[in-house]
Amino acid sequence: MDKNKIFLFDPLQQREYSYERFFDRLNNIESIPSFIYTDDIFEIFLTVTASLLYNKNIVLLDYDFKESELGQFGLNDESLLKREPVALNKRVDENNFIQSVQESRDWQITLYTSGTTGQPKKITHGFKSISRMVKISDKKKNDVWGFAYNPTHIAGLQVFLQAIFNLNTIINLFGSSSGEILSLIDEYNITNISATPTFYRMLVPSNRKFNTIKRITSGGEKFNPALFQRMSEIFPNARILNVYASTEAGSLFASDGDSFSIKKEDAENVKIVDGELLIHKHMLGISDSFELEGDWYNTNDLVEFLPDSNLRFKFIGRKNEMINVGGYKVNPCEVEEIINSHPAVTVSRVYGRKNSVIGNVLIADVTVENSNVSEKDLKSFLQEYLQPFKIPRIINLVDAIEVTRTGKLKRV
Amino acid sequence: MPQKVEILRNIINQVLENNSKEKISSLKSSTNLRDEIGLDSFDLAELTVRIEMKFGVDVFESGIVLTVGEILNKLDNGNG
Repeated sequence: MDKNKIFLFDPLQQREYSYERFFDRLNNIESIPSFIYTDDIFEIFLTVTASLLYNKNIVLLDYDFKESELGQFGLNDESLLKREPVALNKRVDENNFIQSVQESRDWQITLYTSGTTGQPKKITHGFKSISRMVKISDKKKNDVWGFAYNPTHIAGLQVFLQAIFNLNTIINLFGSSSGEILSLIDEYNITNISATPTFYRMLVPSNRKFNTIKRITSGGEKFNPALFQRMSEIFPNARILNVYASTEAGSLFASDGDSFSIKKEDAENVKIVDGELLIHKHMLGISDSFELEGDWYNTNDLVEFLPDSNLRFKFIGRKNEMINVGGYKVNPCEVEEIINSHPAVTVSRVYGRKNSVIGNVLIADVTVENSNVSEKDLKSFLQEYLQPFKIPRIINLVDAIEVTRTGKLKRV
Repeated sequence: MPQKVEILRNIINQVLENNSKEKISSLKSSTNLRDEIGLDSFDLAELTVRIEMKFGVDVFESGIVLTVGEILNKLDNGNG
């Protein structure tokens, strides 16, 4: 390996770290914190890797957790400072690194789900469930990753493991603007990006083409054919993959389009009851807050099998995101999908506002490329595709739409 | 008071226009929202949200409102 091969570039701090430096830090670690609570992405990656290498359990915390949230987890300033000494007996380099970290079979990592509802839930994963989708191969050794997830969340962790196990270069895109992201793709010849559909939608106004990208992975939210089409135009050499993953179970299913395949060996661990996806507890991490129905965990994801198969399904929406409007159930994903198909729209977010007449009034916040589009234009457009109760009564044209800590649309 | 009537007429017209219904040119206190203007329950819901965005008052909070005059009353009492 090239001595100066970049391990990480962090544009937020304008710092580049080589693999040489990364290994040097790993080989000189005397103690490992029990909790990761920092916004320095290099330190996060270094500490996760060290915990794996020295087989010490680790807890990942969002750096923007408030003191009150930490308090709910039973943590305070003092407990966050806890460190465990390690024996200085490891010498890792690019030749023995992968073998060395894989020896830590009983290592555990704990994280907190971003929680679309209520307070974050604590979930613990072992090496097996966290690395289910990690693939190591010679073909992947020159991959350059655009890192687009929060590094303290499960999706970020999985991308990190995929990258580090192939000794790849990682370019941090999380927290950068779309313009900066597009320049970084060019500058570093990024080959792989894994992100949410919302992340990709923010990039979409670009009319440029990026030829270095060979793999685009999307996950965490509903992906649709229109976005797929736009992505294939911007990244003409990319294979586009859609992943179904959750903090509870890690990555489970992948697909080339908007339907997911269940592996034959997993068929008995997956079932659909009343339209909701249930996963057998074998597939999950460990948590006190799982509410199991017998041996099954209800994902609250609404899915349906494709007509010709019981091993392929489509994601329809989240059950707890359904909005009751005058007695009708509205799936915000469905409405957003139609709004996003309007040529002028970049991103949209549909939500309910409590109302004394019909329970909830449907509202959409929309960002557009062309400011000549009016609320009325958008409504007329929607009338062609949606039943009246699914059409947002109020459409706000806004400058920006908030995303969550995980990079998903922020649901109200 | 006349100013509020004018703002209310604009809001009602916005709701009507957005939903491809015919706009109104005048508004009286006695005008009935459903029967005379032709607002259905979804239109009324939209109207309440738009009024609340403008005046900070949920005019339907304490029960169904039937006429323009009742909305104006709530707006006069609701803010204070």
